[in-house]
Amino acid sequence: MTPAVSQVLADLAGRVARNAAPNIPAADRAGELGLSALLLGLAAEMWDGAAEILAQENADLRALLAAGAKVWGEDTRRRWLDALSQGRDESLRLSALQSANGELKVALIALHAELERRDDPEARALESQIWRALVAASDRRRLSGSPV
Amino acid sequence: MEEAELVQRLGAYAAAQMPGARDVAVTEIARITGGASRQTYRFTLVWTEGGEARRRGLILRRDPADSLIDTERRVEFEAYRAFHGGEVPVPEMLWLEEGDEALGSPFFVAAEIAGFQAGTGPLWTAPYLESLPELGRRKWTILGQIARADPVALGLAAVLPATRAEDVWRRELDHWEGVLDADETEPLPVIRAAIRWLRANPPPPAQKVAVVHGDYRTGNFLYDTQGGIHGVLDWEMCHLGDPLEDLGWSFNPVWYFGQGKPGGLLPRDEAIAAWEAASGLVAAPDALKWWELFACVKGQAIWVSSARTWLDGANRDPILVYPAWALIDAQDRAALKVMGHL
Repeated sequence: MTPAVSQVLADLAGRVARNAAPNIPAADRAGELGLSALLLGLAAEMWDGAAEILAQENADLRALLAAGAKVWGEDTRRRWLDALSQGRDESLRLSALQSANGELKVALIALHAELERRDDPEARALESQIWRALVAASDRRRLSGSPV
Repeated sequence: MEEAELVQRLGAYAAAQMPGARDVAVTEIARITGGASRQTYRFTLVWTEGGEARRRGLILRRDPADSLIDTERRVEFEAYRAFHGGEVPVPEMLWLEEGDEALGSPFFVAAEIAGFQAGTGPLWTAPYLESLPELGRRKWTILGQIARADPVALGLAAVLPATRAEDVWRRELDHWEGVLDADETEPLPVIRAAIRWLRANPPPPAQKVAVVHGDYRTGNFLYDTQGGIHGVLDWEMCHLGDPLEDLGWSFNPVWYFGQGKPGGLLPRDEAIAAWEAASGLVAAPDALKWWELFACVKGQAIWVSSARTWLDGANRDPILVYPAWALIDAQDRAALKVMGHL
């Protein structure tokens, strides 16, 4: 969730306060408050499950990177994946989970591209696992009003 | 700029454009919400000419401090002007101002096309429901007419950067991948995989180098209850390119609006048939698939830019947060769907 919910809520708080002033044109006020309400609704839906979604996704990514470390021939890259796969989410702050998630996804993108360059059954099988994980992550993040 | 100052400066600007007019004034100004790339206002211009009182509904489109889509307003203005009076319905353009002197930022003024809907909110309710198939046929027929148009005859070849039929895909992909590289706020494994696929499986050269609207979707045209379309809007991403780009964008699953069909209007095969009949071109399935996946990359680049603009702080309009929160995962899902993984 970028921008972070906490940042957006802080901004919306100021915006709602400003729109309480009597000199704001009615159309501007209606537009700003309508959008603010829409975002508050999205925040309410995302907020409760956000930490669990990121923690689950990070665990899945680490499992994929561990599998990747076993099949990647090049030493430096293999050690990189291996080190990341052994990490843990020590903090359950969304900012910490998000930061770890970003780092893991950078490695996943590199692993995915490497597997696409190969044509052996091991690579194909792990690539299929990556696609399944990406679909599962997208399912977990899906909002109730999502158009897709 | 406060509304009272905007009214005064806009009135003064309009008076300077109308030497035969007296007592020129701006009244009934109201902001139209929803646009993230331009600030849009509806207003009435009143004046006296030849002893007669006159009035006209107009639209002001002004650049905000930091817009969602970085474009030259001249491109948008000239695209509208090129199509005005022809079979593709667009509002009449009046004045373009590219400097900051008049209103603090560049803007253009256009005639208002009043009495029709643009937003998607009421579309899937009465009294619009019965005419949705007709609206869909009209939508893709007009898109075919845009594809059929001759950019040289329209005067747009002189305004829009030239390109070659075999190069258009690479130019567009390079551009939007560059936007992602610059603005990405978190890594995007699905979209990066899509970009690798697009580069490994390039489409055939464009059948013709055509005018591409760039954001042709339900919500960017004015419609009535009978399935009629009275104005195609939001030409700020107009460029020369492969006409399949617009068709692919119109098929982006994020524009299905939860209705299970393109644009929420028409089954895919009927939309393609209407487009082919009007354009005289062919939507070859493999080439169209390439442009549909490209549309997912382009869409994601726009949503990501929206988040970046908000985070950088120059523009904290809440409209910039909405696509980042509501559409980034949906766009990933759309890409997964086009690639056959969902």
